[in-house]
Amino acid sequence: MLLQLNNIFKWVNSGGQRIFLLKDINLNVEEGEFISIMGPSGSGKSTLLNVIGMLDGFEEGEYHFLDESVHSLKEKHRANLYKEYIGFVFQSYHLLDDLTVKENLEMPLLYKKFKGSERKAMVADMLDRFNIVGKKDLFPAQLSGGQQQLVGIARALISNPKLILADEPTGNLNSKQGEEIMELFKQLNEEGVTIIQVTHSEKNAEYGSRIINLLDGRMI
Amino acid sequence: MFRNYLKIAWRNLARNKSFSLLNILGLSIGLAVTALILLWINFELGFNQFHEKKDRIYEVYNKYEIDGEIWTWNSTPKIMAAAIKKDYPEVEAVSRYFYNNTFLFSKDEKRIKSTGTMVDPDFLKIFTFPLVEGDVETVLEDVNSVVITEDFAKKMFGNEPAVGKIVKVDNTDSFKVTGILKNLPSNTEFNFEFLMPWKYVKQKGWDDENWGNNSVATYVLLKEGVNYVAFSKKIKSLRKSYDKGAPDMVTFLYPYTRSHLYSEFENGEEIGGLIDLIRLFGIIAIIVLVIACINFMNLSTARSEKRAKEVGVRKAVGAQKKALIGQFLGESILISFLSALLALAIVLIVLPSFSEQVVGRELTIEWANPWFWIAAISIILITGILAGSYPALYLSAFRPSSVLKGTFNKKNTLITPRKVLVITQFSIAIILITSTIVVKKQIDNVQNRQLGYNKNSLIYIQMEGDIEKNYEIIKSELLDSGIASSITKTNSPITESWSNTWGFEWKGKDEENKTLVHRLVADETVVRTMGLQLIEGRDFDLKKYATDSTAAILNESAVSLMKLKNPIGQTIKDNGTDWRIVGVVKDFVFNSPFQKIEPMVIEGARAWFNVIHIKFNLERNMSDNLAFTKTIFNKYNPEYPFNYEFVDADYAEKFVTEERTEKLASLFSLLTILISCLGLFGLASYMAENRIKEIGIRKVLGASVSGITTLLSKDFLKLVLISIVIAIPISWYAMNQWLEEFDFRIAISWQIFAIAGILAMAIAFLTVSYQAIKAAKSNPVKSLRTE
Repeated sequence: MLLQLNNIFKWVNSGGQRIFLLKDINLNVEEGEFISIMGPSGSGKSTLLNVIGMLDGFEEGEYHFLDESVHSLKEKHRANLYKEYIGFVFQSYHLLDDLTVKENLEMPLLYKKFKGSERKAMVADMLDRFNIVGKKDLFPAQLSGGQQQLVGIARALISNPKLILADEPTGNLNSKQGEEIMELFKQLNEEGVTIIQVTHSEKNAEYGSRIINLLDGRMI
Repeated sequence: MFRNYLKIAWRNLARNKSFSLLNILGLSIGLAVTALILLWINFELGFNQFHEKKDRIYEVYNKYEIDGEIWTWNSTPKIMAAAIKKDYPEVEAVSRYFYNNTFLFSKDEKRIKSTGTMVDPDFLKIFTFPLVEGDVETVLEDVNSVVITEDFAKKMFGNEPAVGKIVKVDNTDSFKVTGILKNLPSNTEFNFEFLMPWKYVKQKGWDDENWGNNSVATYVLLKEGVNYVAFSKKIKSLRKSYDKGAPDMVTFLYPYTRSHLYSEFENGEEIGGLIDLIRLFGIIAIIVLVIACINFMNLSTARSEKRAKEVGVRKAVGAQKKALIGQFLGESILISFLSALLALAIVLIVLPSFSEQVVGRELTIEWANPWFWIAAISIILITGILAGSYPALYLSAFRPSSVLKGTFNKKNTLITPRKVLVITQFSIAIILITSTIVVKKQIDNVQNRQLGYNKNSLIYIQMEGDIEKNYEIIKSELLDSGIASSITKTNSPITESWSNTWGFEWKGKDEENKTLVHRLVADETVVRTMGLQLIEGRDFDLKKYATDSTAAILNESAVSLMKLKNPIGQTIKDNGTDWRIVGVVKDFVFNSPFQKIEPMVIEGARAWFNVIHIKFNLERNMSDNLAFTKTIFNKYNPEYPFNYEFVDADYAEKFVTEERTEKLASLFSLLTILISCLGLFGLASYMAENRIKEIGIRKVLGASVSGITTLLSKDFLKLVLISIVIAIPISWYAMNQWLEEFDFRIAISWQIFAIAGILAMAIAFLTVSYQAIKAAKSNPVKSLRTE
């Protein structure tokens, strides 16, 4: 078992009323799964992804990640946990404009205190694996959208996470680029990485082994 | 990690060139001002501190109660040094310091005037003024020995060895050079070029054993291990057994190390002195630096939207808040470092004129001093941390989930802390502007004050050498040739009073009245030469009235002090002489033009003279007049170079302190405004950028350029308005305090605040409107398409 959500509730108070973002979410994810979260706008997909990714908290419920009780962990431990095991891929890539491709890939390693030589080896390995060695000194603005997302995925993978969380990873791409990215996810999944993606597209959802549908914060 | 931070910080700087420039410029001006002030403070704190035995050196002071008030002063009877040496075994060395004298030194054809004094042989053992040549034990032993500084030796003897040479002093006595002193450092109060032994004072008959004549400084070196407090008790009653005139006068030792910074006394208690000015400047240094840091904070947080995404991404890939704070602090320290480099360049350029114009002594940067580097690096770090702390905390607190989703709330208006910062900056700027105006008005006002005499084409010459002997012939030649229109000898220049007393007696004087009355002594035509304004009576005229040598002319204040109804013809008593009043003149400024005019009596020719005043013929060319006067003086006083002072230049000297205050006030207000405007400019540009969409929509809906400009400027002007409200009472209070010091002063009118307020508004509006107009003129189609 990779992670387990039990009766998760998340809400905000607005004008004296409680507005639920997530309602009674129960979810078990095994290692090696490829899950697609679907649902209309505002149904809570991204919120759920952020909760799983520990970027966002929740008001009620329990969250276990690899036998750790995330809900009772201190901020620092939680940060260590997701730093170690989770990689993010964003719809709008979120590469740092001021850094080159190589430096963008290197950034997560800096926060994990890898040594310089190790970092170099890991970045070189990743550039090689994604076939972007030639682009290593370019800045994000000099790349196409597909290439930028490729770098985004490479950055998420560089520290060997167990889980990749992808928030509409193909949302800003054309269909051909999107297909390539999905093929890449599939291949990664076959290599053993657990993937949870949020998507609008039925076709992309098909890549996954399981589909979760959300409506108004509730699993259906 | 660090390299990565440095890299991204550098790229950020390079990418946002105008932002970086504003930041670095503002910070470097602040740092430069701070550095200059610190250099000055360092200089003043080090003043007089280089003497190796400084902790054991004391100057002898006296305290005496007169009319319930304790007066404190540091001149002592000449005889006191011997008494101290005889009576107190705790004392290792004692030296008197005769007042500075200017002598004419001559050797063959060379003639040089030089200033120095006579001291006891112990002087060189008490103070650390090292001898380059000569033996401390013997240099001042012989009555006709003289020790001179390296510079003086060079002037006098060129590159020849000076020791052993004989020089003539004032054409009368021969002195043998026995030692060469290292040139005095700039941070000492002493300014002698030569030292002669006290024996010479004796030989000249200037010495006396009168305990009532307090006229020289006495320095004491205590033996090592002597308890100062215990010794103070012992020496307190020194005068009891010697001074029959004033046995209650308290003698005390004042630590020499405090003399430069503290030495102002009120009612017997030390109340400060230069240290107050140093503290004030310290505060100014901090304020300017804080303003510069505020700028940095404002600009950095205004740019936060741009960096929000970076924070989000970094947090999402595992950065903790601590790491981000480190990164942003690192950036601000980098900027602080770059600013420091620029500031150093500014300091190096400005330092010579700052030394000359403001400090009056030469300041240098001690590159080899490790404390310089420690101080510089600490200031860079402190500035970087101070300026970066708020932005770092602010930026690192962004939540990645909201920032990355794009729902990060862009705030169009200035948020509160930033408002507070802008208000602080502008309040200080306005306080400084009003201060500058008040100081300037006060100086202008005093400069335009009716002097009561005419300082044009009036010079004075010190009587020295043969001038006194040949006075009559010099005078008649100058008058006959038509060069001078009037000549008068006096005891002091018209710009100063060298003599005063409460000993005047007049009819009906209250015995308790101890008001000081100043004395000017003049031979004749004093009213004419000085251009005084006669109200009653006449000028001195010895040819017509031989008794005018005991005549007196009073100023109006003296008349009103003595309550004389018909002053002409009455007599007053001074120094045992009856002075018959022959004239009354309007009050004229003779001491500080900032203070009220005190009573003065101009006494006739019975007394002594020091100075000749010459009023030139206005119809002739001034340089011809001077050239001719020089030839006459050279003829009748051949041994001395011809030296003269213009009375108007001398008078202008009286404004040096106040003009320095004015220069500083205007300099600091200018810099504060400059720094504040840099910040405002940056803020305005970011606000315009943030509101680009709003501006586009408004324009599409029909808003005019002027309407939008007003809309954008309004927010800022509101802040300036609040600053004005805050600044007015503060500057009103501060400036009233400053003006208190002067008897002759302006009233602070509301116009001054109006001018300062309008000026601040105008400057702020100009700064902001550039950005506002630029934004308002932009094509809405473009700005809306960016969404």
